[in-house]
Amino acid sequence: MDWQGQKRAEILMQIMLVVSAVAAFGVGYTIGSFRTMMLAYAGGVVLTTLITVPNWPFFNRHPLKWLDPSEAERHPKPHVNSAAASSKKKAAKHK
Amino acid sequence: MHSFGYRANAVVTFAVTILAVMCGMASLSDNFNSPSPTADVKVLNINWFQKQPNGNDEVSLTLNISADLSSLFTWNTKQVFVFLAAEYETPQNALNQVSLWDGIIQSKEHAKFWIHTTNKYRFTDQGNNLRGKDFNLTLHWHIMPKTGKMFADKIVMTGYSLPEEYR
Repeated sequence: MDWQGQKRAEILMQIMLVVSAVAAFGVGYTIGSFRTMMLAYAGGVVLTTLITVPNWPFFNRHPLKWLDPSEAERHPKPHVNSAAASSKKKAAKHK
Repeated sequence: MHSFGYRANAVVTFAVTILAVMCGMASLSDNFNSPSPTADVKVLNINWFQKQPNGNDEVSLTLNISADLSSLFTWNTKQVFVFLAAEYETPQNALNQVSLWDGIIQSKEHAKFWIHTTNKYRFTDQGNNLRGKDFNLTLHWHIMPKTGKMFADKIVMTGYSLPEEYR
């Protein structure tokens, strides 16, 4: 899942849960059935889980464009000292 | 970090938080219900009225209890516990409450009922104060909701009295 996919999944999850809760409460209260409210909300939660939890292709439409290795080799980073270089490597790994 | 497990955890925690809010709202919605229950109890007969060997008065009654508690039921009501208590005053106690009958109403369809019964639990005084005693019959109820706050209320029926002599 790419960065924008993560953001999209997060927002989608919150909106879907809130909407299903409001809908379930409205329906349950209107027809006077607590059971219907619970079933409707459970359905909403399952649907939300199915849509926002797996890594669907929908969430991978904005892949990160890494710099091509050959391009990076042509523009080497200036070596200040070895310690700084190693810490930069670590930082790069964390990404 | 944004793994399958992380997202599943986020969905579950947020879903449960919203569920708690929904249950709170369901409990609050009970306050919009303004019930109008009715109850009527007739003492058909005093079967016997005697002094026990230990000195306490005991009386057996035949009762006819009719009540309509269906307006107590809302969409958030699981059941209603209802009991009939005899309430009277004695020199020792400002309020004596003796439970004579109780029942659990599971649904709105059964909330309008009529029952002809003797007292289910013994009507015994702490002492021998019951001769000629005026007493109230009070129908108490406790509404048990599916979620949230419990409500309790009662209907007091006055004007009952016991005979002057044992029989």
